[in-house]
Amino acid sequence: MTLSAAPRLTRARLPSWRRILRRAPLSFYFGAVILIAHAVLAAVGPWLAPYGLSQMGTGIPLSGMSLAHPFGVDQLGRDIFSRVIHGSHIVLLLALSGTGLGVVVGSIVGLLSGYLGGWVDNIVQRLLESIISIPFLVLALLAIAAAGPELAGSPFLVILVVALVYAPRVARMARSAAIEIATRDFVTVARLRGESAWSVMRREILPNASSVLLVEFALRAGYAPVLIGSLGFLGFGMRPPTPEWGLMMAENRALIIVSPITVLGPGLALASLVVGLNLFTDGLARLIGRTAPQTQA
Amino acid sequence: MLNVHLIRLIAGRVLLSLLTLLLVSALIFLILEVLPGDVASRILGRDATPETLAVLRAQLHLNDPAMTRYLRWLAGMATGNFGTALTSSRPIVRILEPRIFNTLLLAGYAFLLYLPLALIPALIQAVRRDRPTDHALSALTLVLLSMPDFLIATLLLVTFVVTVPLLPAISLVDQSSTALEYFRAMTLPAITLAIVMAVYAVRMLRDNLIEVLGSDYVRMAELKGLSRRRVLLRHALPNALVPTLNITALNLAYLIGGVVVVEKVFSYPGFGSLLVDSLQLRDIPVIEATVLIAAAVYIAANLLADVGAILLNPRLRGVHS
Repeated sequence: MTLSAAPRLTRARLPSWRRILRRAPLSFYFGAVILIAHAVLAAVGPWLAPYGLSQMGTGIPLSGMSLAHPFGVDQLGRDIFSRVIHGSHIVLLLALSGTGLGVVVGSIVGLLSGYLGGWVDNIVQRLLESIISIPFLVLALLAIAAAGPELAGSPFLVILVVALVYAPRVARMARSAAIEIATRDFVTVARLRGESAWSVMRREILPNASSVLLVEFALRAGYAPVLIGSLGFLGFGMRPPTPEWGLMMAENRALIIVSPITVLGPGLALASLVVGLNLFTDGLARLIGRTAPQTQA
Repeated sequence: MLNVHLIRLIAGRVLLSLLTLLLVSALIFLILEVLPGDVASRILGRDATPETLAVLRAQLHLNDPAMTRYLRWLAGMATGNFGTALTSSRPIVRILEPRIFNTLLLAGYAFLLYLPLALIPALIQAVRRDRPTDHALSALTLVLLSMPDFLIATLLLVTFVVTVPLLPAISLVDQSSTALEYFRAMTLPAITLAIVMAVYAVRMLRDNLIEVLGSDYVRMAELKGLSRRRVLLRHALPNALVPTLNITALNLAYLIGGVVVVEKVFSYPGFGSLLVDSLQLRDIPVIEATVLIAAAVYIAANLLADVGAILLNPRLRGVHS
């Protein structure tokens, strides 16, 4: 009887989406609205933007804030507001794919390590611990240095670096979830039934760890644009003329005295995206019943 | 107070930290010198000729086996002999000394600003719980929490350099700088670091304070007729601070990464900007030394938090067996 009870148990514990959404705190909706606005901007932005991505001579260089140019014009005469809009989908795609890859790899490593236990778990834990001991921005810069000059500025490198930073941290969370789930009866039953470790992980542990992993994804996705922006700002992320927001802030830094809005504009876009992500995650975490998120480290 | 059980527990943590540090050193070496193939051609890039490559290989002892090079490097790091920088051919220790001094000074200044920036809003929020002030401060913390440190730094730069010209935009200092010049140069970077650190602590400190304020011994103190201020500062605050020890360790860890960005924004010549510069110049020995030091500080901060938590835990401290 326990054999068929396992899937039904998991389904019964999850309330319907409608009931979940009715309990959601206000911050969840605020965050969702901001995120939808950003998603729409990313999807249709290139057709909405008043000027082209690298179109020069759109206005008087360094003329500051105006209705025609809300974020000003740089010294090449490019409209910063248009460039910010053109960059929207780049920032979102890099952040989501980097976080996604990190969460997938981290979950597999963490769940397997937690379920298997023993010396495998011990070795994996020591390795993960040592990767986490390198401050994340330093680790990201180190990985970029190791990749060498041929790969520099490639979006794939940025995605891989974000995944490398997140995977060990996700693995640590996934492992503790797996250890807790592995003690439940339906896992013992599955093991006695002769399922392989991979199959137990995929069919018994993963579905029950999914809410933890979902929050983990949202949590990490909230910081990913900042990490990508930091790399761009330091000159180790995307290369000009890519309109990545952190890189744009660094490009326009020399203009900060004459036209501060050219630096602050891309920064405000980045901050609004992260505020949306954080509000959304905060609400999500409270819904699922975890404590308030800590985006740091 | 200290018993065998406790000493064994702490010694275990110390050994584990040393093991982690050893693994980190192997990892750094592997990432920088073994994985990417020929290090010499990566350092020299496109303008490499066979002769310059051969010279650099000999200089870096790249013809030796990887294990020999790793052990030699590790022995050097352990004895304080960090090797020579490729770009300036100066001993790395001489390069590191002033940079580490500058960053320690900056970190100390930031830490002094961090304490009131974290404590005052948290105390106000806990006392005015669920009132408009509490909600306003919560919203402000959330917005600041979502701002990248380089944006906070840029906002401060626009405010105090462009709008109200009080402070310098570029924080260049050297040995000849006076104390006042140091103070002016460090103020904006220190405020940036302090804000970022405080934002993380405020949320947790507020929740802890509210929990402690609802406990029996605080009610007891109130019923004894102690003043509100005395109850808050003498009875509630010390107990609410214990769980924030972890956050403070996390903040120390943030500081190591944070100085990389913040020092770069203000061109402050510290440890963080040394790391960025050495990465740009592809100066492998300097990169190795700085990354290992950063990791060592991180590991030490976590170890201190662990040991602190063990010592402060009465259940562990009081075991007499």
